[in-house]
Formats: sequence, structure tokens, C-alpha cells
Amino acid sequence: MIPFIARRLVQSLFVMLAVAALAFALFRFVGDPVSQMTGVETAPQDMERLRVELGLTDPIPLQFARFVGDLVTGDFGYSYRTRQPVGEMIAQRVPATLELGLVALLISLVVGIPGGIYAALHPRAPGTQALLVGTLIGVSVPTFVIGILLIFLFGVKLGWLPTFGRGGTVDIGGWRTSLLTLDGWRALILPAITLGLYQLTLTLRLVRAEMMDVMRTDHIRFAMARGLPLGTIHYRHAFRNTLVPVVTIVALQFGGVIAFSVVTESVFQWPGLGLLFLESIRFVDIPVMAVYLVLIGFVFVVLNLLVDLLYAAIDPRIRVAGAA
Amino acid sequence: MTRSRPFSARLARGGISAIALSLALSLALSLPLAGPAAAETFRWATTTDPQTMDPHAVNAAPVTSFLNNVYEGLVRRDAEMAIEPSLATSWAPLEGEDGWRFTLREGVTFHDGSAFTADDVLFSYERAASEESDVRSWFAPVTEVRVVDDRTIDFVTSAPNPLFPDSIANFLIMDRGWAEANDAARPARDAENFATRNTNGTGPFRLAARDPGIETRLAPFDGWWDEARHNVTEAIYTPIGNPATGLAALLSGEIDMISPIPLQDVAQVEGREGFRVLEGLETRVIMLGFGHDRETLKYGADAGAPNPFLDPRVRRAVALAIDVETIDRIIMRGKAEPASQLLPAGLSGYSEANDAPLGFDEAAARALLAEAGHPDGFSFGLMCTNDRYINDEAVCRAVASMLARVGIDAELTVMPVRNYWEELRADNFDMYLLGWSPGTFDAEHPIRFLAATPNEETRVGSWNFGGWSNTRVDELLPLVQQELDPAARQAMLDEIAAILQEEVAYVPLYVEPLIWAAKANIDLVQRPDNFFMLRWVRVN
Repeated sequence: MIPFIARRLVQSLFVMLAVAALAFALFRFVGDPVSQMTGVETAPQDMERLRVELGLTDPIPLQFARFVGDLVTGDFGYSYRTRQPVGEMIAQRVPATLELGLVALLISLVVGIPGGIYAALHPRAPGTQALLVGTLIGVSVPTFVIGILLIFLFGVKLGWLPTFGRGGTVDIGGWRTSLLTLDGWRALILPAITLGLYQLTLTLRLVRAEMMDVMRTDHIRFAMARGLPLGTIHYRHAFRNTLVPVVTIVALQFGGVIAFSVVTESVFQWPGLGLLFLESIRFVDIPVMAVYLVLIGFVFVVLNLLVDLLYAAIDPRIRVAGAA
Repeated sequence: MTRSRPFSARLARGGISAIALSLALSLALSLPLAGPAAAETFRWATTTDPQTMDPHAVNAAPVTSFLNNVYEGLVRRDAEMAIEPSLATSWAPLEGEDGWRFTLREGVTFHDGSAFTADDVLFSYERAASEESDVRSWFAPVTEVRVVDDRTIDFVTSAPNPLFPDSIANFLIMDRGWAEANDAARPARDAENFATRNTNGTGPFRLAARDPGIETRLAPFDGWWDEARHNVTEAIYTPIGNPATGLAALLSGEIDMISPIPLQDVAQVEGREGFRVLEGLETRVIMLGFGHDRETLKYGADAGAPNPFLDPRVRRAVALAIDVETIDRIIMRGKAEPASQLLPAGLSGYSEANDAPLGFDEAAARALLAEAGHPDGFSFGLMCTNDRYINDEAVCRAVASMLARVGIDAELTVMPVRNYWEELRADNFDMYLLGWSPGTFDAEHPIRFLAATPNEETRVGSWNFGGWSNTRVDELLPLVQQELDPAARQAMLDEIAAILQEEVAYVPLYVEPLIWAAKANIDLVQRPDNFFMLRWVRVN
């Protein structure tokens, strides 16, 4: 196990370096930060001076070396836009995104898994057909359209839920949570549904397909023949066997949920990392973009590692193969 | 509104699943929290959060507009943009030398209670004119600032400068003691400093809480020297970047006012009871510019061919070929106003003598092109933004198709503004779209930035990307800047406006509209500079 983890860690390091290089390359094309930082009346000489101060006129290899060096030493620098320390800005926004992502994930699992099991066990039921059509809509309608529709229905027309922001948050040792107040939950519910919908449809269809596969296998038929109670067959024998691919996909998708929360956060003005990233692109705030991209890369790398470890925990066969 | 319908009525409708029921219950519990807030709490939103609370660090409209509620200048603009006394009660030209003497208001205190004196003005000048400041260009004509006594301060300028008081309406005064005690004697350059997130001004509102990018709260300042016209007890600002979300927030009643809203949403807001749209004209003129200093075309099928725009007849043909009224009617939904000059009608120095736009005349455009030796037209590159001005990309597409009708083929390149200026500075265009709002609200401003021959030393012409150059205009600009007699000054401005029109240095298209939306119970003033002043807000 330990050599396996060590090997994966070294691989991850290269992945992170590649992410950093890609992010850095991207900055050549996002635009000119100095034009964004200064007013129209600023003289060209003053703009040039600022450019030199920011190190934007240095040779590109030197800029890249400095960029990686700063990241490695944990010196994330200061935002071009607000002049705040980037590390602090990111840290302030992490709770909002994580809470949104986790609740979205939770919604997708709580609805997706039972829905998938139901659809697999009753393939001809009208409920199943409705679920499958529903999931088709879920994957094909873009997130921002769903978000706007929900806002106009529940926020504007019915007036039940807030249309933007996080509502009431409580600060617990620097972690601002919206999970402890009713207001926070009211603000959270629409963005979480919007963000979780795609994940939900994916989980539902995956659970259904896997479960149907498993139901056709010999050990389930044997269990049926033995006359075991249906509940035991479905949930102890069949469902457990569907879990391996589901856990993989769900965990990998969680990285996606965090990364693609950009759209949902923009639609709901949800003050998380995604919104910060969008603002930073608009302003060519390179230090913030850099740290965000590398952080997202890091999340994916860690999730992949966790999935590999979880695999081994869930499925003993993989453990044996790894040991061999 | 739906909100007022009895809650039980909503519950009774339709089959309610367990989930919906629990949701409904949680809503029922939270309804008191969501009820209408105290009448005097005012919530508003714009698209861009002011990136700093430091009035000298960034010369950008979101920052200056917001901070004008917290800090004040020596002078300020009234609802019609005219200059009126603020921290200075009067001002007069110096005797025996060039410059202005400002007499300061008595009994003004900063939010922390310290007294406002001439020394604070001197300090603010030193801070705003420092290398770290982004507003230092305002003080380019100033050679010395002298404190005469606690209530009197002199700004000495290198030449007569009749517009100096107008040009410093956004020069906001900071307390010396507070700034120095908090290590913020200069605007933040790399890392933030205390003044980035804290304020100590003399204005009608003080900063109560600041959460950058999320929410900023202001509270009225009890010790404000002026009589408060507003009745706001708390003002809460939220940036909402997505226009659809902003509109939803207004229509759901969560915010009281938003600026701006997209043109296409105007009808939606107007159609609803309890809301209104505020329309006005901004001071921004949208125009087309040419590459005047280029021997050859850079883009399109004729790249490398001699630059036809060097011929004023071709430039005039372009102006004649564009039907601004149609652009206004279709793309700007009739809310814009055709422009004839580099600044909107009505601003100081606007040339009434040159008020008429060239107009739309396709036949004349074709004839001029033929006369200039381009009977079959030519192909060139048009650069355009897609996120800077209202419907900018659509306007450029319309311009391209109108030019196509007279036989010239514009190859359109659109890009976000964050890439745009860099491209223009690198001369990557044959023709380009530009919007200009004169920071001083005077005709001298666009001449200095757009019409003067670019000159690093005198720092003029810094936005004259096409390098248009006219010796007479260059000769007149310093005279305009120094002329004290309004009639003589206007005569020179008229002459410059006539030259710009005759030569078609730019093709002014239209004045951009300004569109805000608010609840019907909100009284406010929409100033043409797009600044939103809380001191005029009344919640009824």
C-alpha cells in the first residue's frame, strides 16, 4: 500500500506542475492587467512603471520560475484588483463553495441512489419512465438556464426563497457557514439544486445501469433461488455490488462540482471561489486566477488519490490484486 | 405581489409531497425573517464592486462613485452636474500668480470626530499627487500647494487654469492624523493598507461594514455638516454581476435599486406595478476611430494596400454610410441620442455651432468613395469590444453591414475589453470602436486625450490610438486650457470642433443611455456621470 501511495504522490506532483504551466501559459492571453488597474487618465509612463513594478516586463522563464517558486513557498502574493493577500481571499471563499458543493452532492445522492434503485427494480413502471425523462432534461438543459428558471419561479413569482447571496451566515472560527441558520438554508437550497442536478441525473442513471447488471448475475439468481427475502437480495447483495463504480464516479464528479460551481455561483451571486474566479478573469487579476487554478488542480489530484484508496476499501478483490 | 398572498392559500393548492411540505414548513418558520425590512433601510446593487475604499488608489468609476458618499471634495457636483461648494465654501483665482485660493468650511469633522483643516487638504493633495496614486494626473498643472491658515489653502498652477476647480470635484479629502496613525499616508501599491478597507471621510455616510465582493454597509454620519435630504438609516450595497440575477433580486423585492439594467429588460420592469425605470443619457459618446498614422491597411482582403482612411473623403463616406438613427431605434431601443461631437450636447464647451451630425446619405457616401478612387470599395479590419459598452458587438455588426451597403467590407474582430486596449495600443486595427466620457465634463477633456497629437512629455493624446494629428488643434489646446474669458475659450473650442468635423477625425455615433431601475417608492437622482449619490435617496 505504501509504495502505491508514494508512487501516486510523485505522479501527482508532476500533474500539479503541468497545471501550473498551463495556468501560466493561459495568463499570456487573458489580457493586460495594467489597463484594468489604472484609470483612463493615467499617463502611459505611469502605466509602464506599474508594469515594471509588477514584474510583467521580465523575461517569461523568469516570470514562470518566480510564479512556481512563490506557489511552492506558499507566498500567493496580492490581488491586482483589491490588493488583499490572495491566500486570505481564497480562504474566505472556500467555505461557501464547499458547503454548496457538499449539499449539492448530498441532494444528488439522496435522490439519485434511491431513484436509480427504483428504476432498476421496476423498469416498466410509469414512475421509472418519468424519472428517465426527467434526467434527460437534467443533463441537457444548461445549468444557468435551470438556475434562472428556479430563481424566477421560487424567488420572483412565488417569493419563497431569496434570489441571490448566502443569506444569514454564522462565523465559527473563521469558517463562515450558512448551514446553521434557516436563512442560510433558504439561500442555499436553489443553488444546491441547480449545481447538483447534473450530478443527480448521472448518479441515478449510473445506479440504475449497474444495479440492472448486477441483478442479472449468477449470485443474485442463486440468492433468488434460495428464496432469500427480496429486501436482503436487493440491498445487501445487489446494491453493495453496484457501489464501486458509483463511488468512483461520484467522487471524481465532486471535483467537477467544485470546479464548475462557477456558473451556479455567478447565477446566484453565491460568494464562493467560482464567483471570485469570474471576477478575477474580468479584471485580469492574475495572482488570484493562478492560485484558484492550481487549487482546483490540487482538489482533483487529491480526489483521484482518495478514490483509489476507497476502491481498495470497498472491493477486497482490488486489495488482493494490489498485493500480488 | 405574490408575497402578500396568505401563506395557507399557497399550501392548500395541489398535491403536496412530503418534501414540499417540509420545505413549506421551514418557509413558514422563516417568513418573519423575510418580511419587509425597516422602511429606511435602502439596498442597492451594481455590477461591479468598488475594488478599494481608498479614494486615491484607483481612478475608476465604481470606486469614485461609491466613495463620494463617504468622502467629500473641496467642491462637488449637484444633480445637474454643476459645481457647488462642498468642503470649500468659496474659491477665487489667486492674485499676482496663477492658481486658485479655496476658503474652507468651518465646523466640519471627520467620521472619527477629528476636525477638518487646511492641513488635511494639503495632506490629501500630497497623497493624491504621489507616485503611488492613480489620480495624480489631476494635479499635473499644480506646482505648489500652500496652507495660508486653517481655513485657507492656495493651489498654484503653472499657467492660468480656469477649469481647475471643476477638475477636482472627485479629489476626495482624507484626514491626515487618521491616515498617518494607520500607516496609510500613501495609497496602497502592492499590498493593501489600512485605507483599503477602512475610511475616515467627512461625507454623509460612514462605512459600517465592508466585506469585499459580497456586501458593504453604510450608516448615516450624524455629524455631517450639510442638512440631510435623504431619510436612509442604513444603506446596504451588494455587487451582482449577472444582469438576470440583478433583475430577479429587484423584482423579488430583495433590493430597492439596481444600476444598470440591460436594455432588453426595460419592458419587463416597466410592465410591473411597483417598479420604475430611470432613463437618462450618460456623458459617454460612442464613436469610430481610424488608423491615421498608418501607410497601409493591416487587416481584411486588402491588407498591405495603401490605407484609404488617410483620405478625409473616405472617412466622410464612412460617416455618411452609417445610419445612426436606425442603430438607435433597433439596437439601442430608441434610448440613445445621435452625437455630432466627442462630447454630448449640453456639457460645458460643447460647440452649438457644430451641433448638426453629418447625417445619413448612402448615395453621397458612394459618390465620395468613387471620387477618392475606391468605386469598388475595399476591405479592412474593424476592432470592437463585446463587454464594454451597451450592446457594443451588435452596434459593430450593424456598422459593418451598413458599410457593406456602400461597398466597403469591414472584417470585424470582437474581444473582451480586458484584451482590447492592449491591441489598440499595439496598433492592431484599421478602424475601431471607442466610447469616451469626459472626466471633467468639459470639451477640453476629449480634445486632450483623443484629438491632440500623442506626446509622452506633455502627456496628451494618450487615447489617440490612431495618431490623428492637426497642428492647429495642438496649437489651440494649451490656449483653451489657459483661457479665462469664456467667450474667447468657446470660440477656440468651436474652431476645434469644426476641424474635427471637417476632417472626420472620428465618427461620433451616439450618446449612450443610462438605465437604472428601482422600486416605485424610492426617490433618487440619476446623475449623467452615472454616480449614485445616497444623499438624494428617499425611501417613501
